[in-house]
Amino acid sequence: MATTPLLEVKNLTTTFRTDGGIVTAVNNLSFTLHKGQTIGIVGESGSGKSVTSLSIMQLLAKGIGKISGGEIIYHKENGEKINLAQLSNDEMRQYRGNKIAMIFQEPMTSLNPVMTCGEQIIEVIQLHKKVTRKEAQKQTLDLFKQVQLPRPEYMLSAYPHQLSGGQKQRVMIAMAMSCNPSILIADEPTTALDVTIQKNILELMQDLQRNNKMGILFITHDLGVIAELADTILVMYKGKIVEQGHVLDIFSNPQHPYTKSLLACRPPLNKKLHWLPTIADFMEIDANGVIIEKETNINAVLGRLQINETEHNAQLAELYKQEPLLQVKNLKVEYITKRNIFGKPTVKYTAVKDISFDVFPGETLGLVGESGCGKTTLGRAILKLIQPTEGQILFEGKDISNLNFKNLQTIRKDIQIIFQDPYSSLNPRLTIGEALMEPMRVHNIFNTDEERKQRVFQLLKRVNMLESHFNRYPHEFSGGQRQRICIARALVLNPKFIICDESVSALDVSVQAQVLNLLNELKDEFKLSYIFISHNLSVVKFMSDRMIVMNAGEIEELDTPDVIYNNPKSAYTQRLINALPKGELSDIQRAVQRRKKVVNEI
Amino acid sequence: MLRYLLRKIWYGFFVLLGVVCVVFLLFNVLPGDPARMMLGQRADAASIEAINKELGRNKSLTEQFLMYANDLSPISYHDTKDKSSLLFFSTDKYASSAQLLTLSNNKIIILKYPYLRRSYQTKRKVADIIFEALPETFALALAAIMFASVIGIALGIVSAIYKDTWIDTSTLVIAVLGMSGPSFFIGIIVAWVFGFILSDYTGLNMTGSLYSIDPFEGEQLDLKNIILPAITLGIRPLAVIIQLTRNSLLDVLSQDFIRTATAKGLANSTVIIKHALRNSLTPVITAISGWFASLLAGSVFIEYVFGWKGIGAEVVGALEKYDFPVVMGTVLVISILFVLINIIVDIIYGLFDPRVRLQ
Repeated sequence: MATTPLLEVKNLTTTFRTDGGIVTAVNNLSFTLHKGQTIGIVGESGSGKSVTSLSIMQLLAKGIGKISGGEIIYHKENGEKINLAQLSNDEMRQYRGNKIAMIFQEPMTSLNPVMTCGEQIIEVIQLHKKVTRKEAQKQTLDLFKQVQLPRPEYMLSAYPHQLSGGQKQRVMIAMAMSCNPSILIADEPTTALDVTIQKNILELMQDLQRNNKMGILFITHDLGVIAELADTILVMYKGKIVEQGHVLDIFSNPQHPYTKSLLACRPPLNKKLHWLPTIADFMEIDANGVIIEKETNINAVLGRLQINETEHNAQLAELYKQEPLLQVKNLKVEYITKRNIFGKPTVKYTAVKDISFDVFPGETLGLVGESGCGKTTLGRAILKLIQPTEGQILFEGKDISNLNFKNLQTIRKDIQIIFQDPYSSLNPRLTIGEALMEPMRVHNIFNTDEERKQRVFQLLKRVNMLESHFNRYPHEFSGGQRQRICIARALVLNPKFIICDESVSALDVSVQAQVLNLLNELKDEFKLSYIFISHNLSVVKFMSDRMIVMNAGEIEELDTPDVIYNNPKSAYTQRLINALPKGELSDIQRAVQRRKKVVNEI
Repeated sequence: MLRYLLRKIWYGFFVLLGVVCVVFLLFNVLPGDPARMMLGQRADAASIEAINKELGRNKSLTEQFLMYANDLSPISYHDTKDKSSLLFFSTDKYASSAQLLTLSNNKIIILKYPYLRRSYQTKRKVADIIFEALPETFALALAAIMFASVIGIALGIVSAIYKDTWIDTSTLVIAVLGMSGPSFFIGIIVAWVFGFILSDYTGLNMTGSLYSIDPFEGEQLDLKNIILPAITLGIRPLAVIIQLTRNSLLDVLSQDFIRTATAKGLANSTVIIKHALRNSLTPVITAISGWFASLLAGSVFIEYVFGWKGIGAEVVGALEKYDFPVVMGTVLVISILFVLINIIVDIIYGLFDPRVRLQ
């Protein structure tokens, strides 16, 4: 392999000033990125992986974040070495976007909403390449073709809100590629996207790398995503690199317990587990912050957690003998997209078309599909947060689709929802205690606040939070903790039925495993039934007893997860399964071989 | 876009219809006898009755309203023969008009300017009174809001960039002072300091209108008179605009696409002006248009202090004398201006933010 170093990070230490004192976000980090190489940086949020990328770009928040030690050496084409950490802001500007480009996580918010997509790229080209506007426009059009945007001419004058998430990310990539950078930093570029789009974007990035021989720094919380992409993987934990090595070594022979837990906590597709391994299964941190390994063998852990098939099937058979808890019959939901001048609807969009299914008591029904397939609308229509246009919803045999507000209140107590974004689904001005007591007050559960408080304490403890969290505000908690609070809030009314709408999609894989386990525990303990909605097939497969694949408002398939996964009937399901990053060794080996061949050709 | 505009105008029409109803009812249930106001306390019953008849006050409220609406509507119904009828078509009322339709030998439908009736006091046409005072008020309001917007947005940007430094803090102090000073008091201070004490240096007068009457050369435009009242009037909106611009800009500066812009290698000034400012101006535009519209409605105190012959002074005078047609006319004209300003602001929103254009 050619070894022209592009970027050497030596003993990088980045600190943040916070209310609680100085926090070291990145601690003594060293690595070298070579031409044409892809380095994957993996770790959970707070591990310092994003701060690393921001440090390289010198984009740390002024006055708060600071590089307090180490060097970031950029190798110019002529062999000259520049320490980026010592450049002034004006000097650094010549590298940003020009030599080192970056793609961010949220394509939805990373583009300026009031500028056309074309203009946002023309701007960079004009800045760094010093060409005329006309030339810049021509180059932008070429870039749009290169990143395979549909209707590239139209895209030049389109605004970001007119594009889909995947298209926006392509615009972001075009922007990053516009000045032929030698280094591309991608910070969770596909985390917010559907799996099928993620696959396309990853392929696109590899194609571009092959043509430009860039070095890529790919940051992610999910090892699976970079399995077929990265040459070298750095695993970061609490600001430090705990393990680094070739991608094959990391996947076939992980050394550090944290790496092992990251590998093991992804819901497996080929095994049936009743419980997902978490970090706690592999390691512990003692009072001095020293990591103690608890378990060395991933397969041993997985073996312990495997489901007993016969017992499980017997349970399910019992379950399906009961009367269904929820019956959805020919449900149809329409949105009005256009009205005439008198307010009469003229154009309608059908989000859910004629859907029927049952949910049995104690069952988890999975619902999987890409964004825009109508799965969220369906979930909300069941809760009657959206009024269905046609069809019936029977809960415990009673039709709830046409209930008035007052009668609906009693039903609402029995059906709860856990939303996707734990950041925006908690009112920032209510303490956790208030947020949890409010539903009980609305539904007149308990007579005094003292009793309600006891109940909240009980539930907080149940979701592994502390009683002392009662008086704290949402912003003081991490995403995983907030999602636990949301779960506690859903449980406060003793519901029979919970709709989990993408409840773990915003979480890191390691946290996701913990929350999924918690949901499964609570299901048994509180005799709940779930509808589990997600775009991630592997998560739905792990959670559900039966699952529905939804596409364009219709049911593609309804069956047990194993049948659907092993024997998909529709092409759509097949596509979803193919797009899943599986992280299987044979695939990784093939990818490594493929890359080697390309390098040799150069 | 055209559809969007048409819809806005359509809604605006309903707003105006509502205003006409409310204004009419308000001034017809208010106590006060216009006939007595016009003729004085010693008028005899016969003349009072004659006046009431002339004004149509002996008719039912519904009839009175229909006649008022007929006067206001650009397309109206009239009688050409019967001089005693209130619907009599007189060229005196409807100066320029075009006959659209003849219904019978003496009934016609015409197209005309809305007729706002005449002042009870001076007998002048209300439209004439308003359009004499309105340009003065318009000029003053425009000058005040321009001053407030330009300085306010500039100071807002500066204090956002230098957040938490002495520049930011002192701008904040100015803004708070501007917000809390009562306008009539500030008006007097400004007039006294700059128009009297420092008059030799500034060359400004304490009072004066847009047009001054020169004994030899007649009416003359006197632009320098606008400076002091405009500044006084602009202080409050200035304070609001500074705060809004600052906070909105800081909000936008913390967003992801600003990080993207910086990561492109753009200079800080480009990032702020090209990427951040346009995104942060929407609330500022709302504030500016709101203030502008209310300044148009007359800034009575300021006009009074600086002797400005604007619409504020006119309305106060008319209210004192129960000169209902003048007050009603003014309220209507100002409502139309409000509606118009709102439509213009909606267009500006669309220009600034492409996401608004969709709706």
